[in-house]
Amino acid sequence: MTASIEVRGLSRTFHTTVRRPGFTGVLRSLVNPERVEKHAVSDISFDVAPGELLALLGPNGAGKSTTIKMLTGILTPTSGEARVAGVVPYRERERNARNIGAVFGQRTQLWWDLPVRESFSILRDIYEVPKAEHAARLREFDELLELSSFWDTRVRHLSLGQRVRCDLAAALLHDPPVVFLDEPTIGMDVVVKEQVREFLRYQVAERGRTVLLTTHDMTEVERLAERVVLVNHGRLVLDGTLDEVRRGFGSTWQVRATLADPHTPVGPLPGIALVSHDGPQVVFGPDGPAAPTVHQALKLVIERYEVTGVAVDEADLEDVMRAAYAEVRAKAEAA
Amino acid sequence: MTTLTYAWRAARVTPLGELYTPPRITAALLRLTVQVVLVASLWHGLYAQTGTTAGLSRDQAVTFAVLAVLASRLRELDQYAGRDSVAQHMYYGTIVYWYLRPLSPHRYYALRALGEQLYGLAWALGGYTVCLAAGVVVPPESASVAGVFALSLFLGQWVLHYVMLLIDQLCFWTLRNTAALLILIFAQNLMSGVYAPLWYFPHWFLTLSSFLPFQATLNVPLSLYVGRIPLSEAGFQLGVQAGWLVALRFLTRFLWRRAARRVVSQGG
Amino acid sequence: MNAVRIVWRVTQLNFRAQLEYRTEFLMMIAIGAIWQVSVIVFATVLLTRFAGMGGWDSSDVLLIPATRMLAHGLFVLFLGRVHGLGRHIQEGKIDAYLLRPMPVYRQVQLEHFPTNAIGDLTVAVGLMVGALGRSHLDWTPGRIAYLVAAVLGGMLLEAALFTVVASASLRFPAADYWGRWLEELLGTFGSYPLNVLPRAVGGFLTYGLPLAFVAYFPAAVLTGHGHSTGAPYWLAAASPFLGLLAYLASRWLWRWALGHYTGVNG
Repeated sequence: MTASIEVRGLSRTFHTTVRRPGFTGVLRSLVNPERVEKHAVSDISFDVAPGELLALLGPNGAGKSTTIKMLTGILTPTSGEARVAGVVPYRERERNARNIGAVFGQRTQLWWDLPVRESFSILRDIYEVPKAEHAARLREFDELLELSSFWDTRVRHLSLGQRVRCDLAAALLHDPPVVFLDEPTIGMDVVVKEQVREFLRYQVAERGRTVLLTTHDMTEVERLAERVVLVNHGRLVLDGTLDEVRRGFGSTWQVRATLADPHTPVGPLPGIALVSHDGPQVVFGPDGPAAPTVHQALKLVIERYEVTGVAVDEADLEDVMRAAYAEVRAKAEAA
Repeated sequence: MTTLTYAWRAARVTPLGELYTPPRITAALLRLTVQVVLVASLWHGLYAQTGTTAGLSRDQAVTFAVLAVLASRLRELDQYAGRDSVAQHMYYGTIVYWYLRPLSPHRYYALRALGEQLYGLAWALGGYTVCLAAGVVVPPESASVAGVFALSLFLGQWVLHYVMLLIDQLCFWTLRNTAALLILIFAQNLMSGVYAPLWYFPHWFLTLSSFLPFQATLNVPLSLYVGRIPLSEAGFQLGVQAGWLVALRFLTRFLWRRAARRVVSQGG
Repeated sequence: MNAVRIVWRVTQLNFRAQLEYRTEFLMMIAIGAIWQVSVIVFATVLLTRFAGMGGWDSSDVLLIPATRMLAHGLFVLFLGRVHGLGRHIQEGKIDAYLLRPMPVYRQVQLEHFPTNAIGDLTVAVGLMVGALGRSHLDWTPGRIAYLVAAVLGGMLLEAALFTVVASASLRFPAADYWGRWLEELLGTFGSYPLNVLPRAVGGFLTYGLPLAFVAYFPAAVLTGHGHSTGAPYWLAAASPFLGLLAYLASRWLWRWALGHYTGVNG
């Protein structure tokens, strides 16, 4: 089966004017602005399979939003190619629009002055969704997102969490096979976040939608995504499963053991380093690229030594990403 | 069929928003009443010591001024309250959604404007009926004057739509232009005859105005109504209005394309 | 003294920020020219067309729009940011202001530099020079002092009216709508001798919406029409002082409204 989203060598360069400092500088910029090039996205390639949820990760300003804008047809790439559900988005914007749904963070597409349900009706007519289908889908969304308690309220009076839930529903009302979500859960409380995640999981697993998500919330990534694409400075750094990311960027686990006999001689095991040794307290860590997973290491330690207590610390994804971003930055600086 | 349903949906956004906010309707009613009373008494007062001036008698001047107040109601809504103006979409970054729908932004905009103008027309007609009954305005001289006025008003509103669209389209290029917008709106009000019939202005100003589209929006239809432009000249004036219509249509179409290119190259 | 320094510094920065938006700044200057021409045309056309309006000599009438526009220009320059505040309130800017150790009202005024005030003031000064040039009055130091006081009073009165609207928008964001109407009324009816209007309407513009005090009453007092305004002479003569009083009262109202500010939703 062909991929839902295909991205090949996608690049986007912006031209901006720089302001010179100081009063005379401002006046000079007024007459003779200085232009610079900024490579927001350079040569990015990846695929997303139908029914897959891919998390597009990277620090602020890495080029995530620019990538999403190119895939939604809002932005034309400088070079490279992209296909979304078989359509080149920036060439056939309106055709692409029928295939996709999108939510851009806190920016709402709902009509500010009208009750939410009116917005849904407008969108239904714009996307030409049959009435019965529309009603059924609204019922489904209501069950998952509890919209009915506030969908007769005017948008201006909704709380952020309510509004973003409505925006999610609005983006999916026309049953798009591909969905783009640019930081959808930013600023939400934990309960609403969980509800939104459950909704997304359902849309992917049960409805088979392809979702491309950007977020800074690593819990979200862990709960939702099997695969991530990491970008930085507009370049693709890594494309792989969560496990691969963990392994690639120092899966910094530790196994802490309390020896039954503090005088037992201890040393490193295959792929496992001895981090510290203080009386009966011994700490092991991974050693080299061939290091075992934390579970294998635990098994090895228990088999080799007689212990009275054992504990494992596994770095969460947030730590892994921190390490990844730091490494990426160090590489960029070295280059 | 489906075109009709989404057209109807988009067109009714403004009236619906107003109906959901009764205080706005009360405010509009109060404002319209006060404005009509003030304008009518001002022109009565100004004519107290003068007979016919600039070819306008007192009744003609009062009728012109009151009709101008009513007509400006056609497109004078609290647009910012709805957060659906181009300026706001640019400011909040929500313009991207206009380009994410299978409905082109220019068609959406036109439908919204049409709904707004029809809603305003209901107000203006209501106000006109009351003013006519109260004797504040005089009726048109003949049925043919009324007919030509109606046609001219229709064309004028169409031209006005394009002028307003031009002002909105400006927002695609200049984000922080509220002051410039106010000045343009002022120019529209002044040169269309909302503040005072253009006939009072010096000759050079009239000449200048005749090269600009603003007078085609209001001054021409109202002058036809009060008889300041005789029916014999109506054909030429309607032609000028139609000419502006065509020219502005091409210009705004062109700007929509440029705006789309700009959004596409900047990302909204 | 420190407050003055901060105000000056922020104003400087704001002015530079206006320069940052190249197209807008240049456009403002270009469009400013159109604006100037149209305002002068508008103000003078009706006055010449309807000579002897309200029993006033046309050179005397010219003093009304000149006073009103100069007061307005100064208002826009110094205190104009209270106009249209509802939008900023909706964006939660007040919440941010409340966190800083500076009076909220002052922060509101320092929000941006009003580039358009430059245009407004240029027109107004031109109009005032024209009006004084045509005036047949004997401009004694007393008259000049009263004119200056009247301009300042007019500025304060306009600021007072918009501060009242701003106070209302702290609670009702839709109050901005009334602000726009107020601006329109001031612009349209601020430039005539109001005795051309029927008594009831003139009374409304005196005691209901105190527009008469901005320019009409002071001009009437200066040109010797002070006894035929329909209002008591002393009231008309006290216009500059009433402007100050109204402004102080509006500031008190603002403080009260701010004390009852409950924030914006979301």
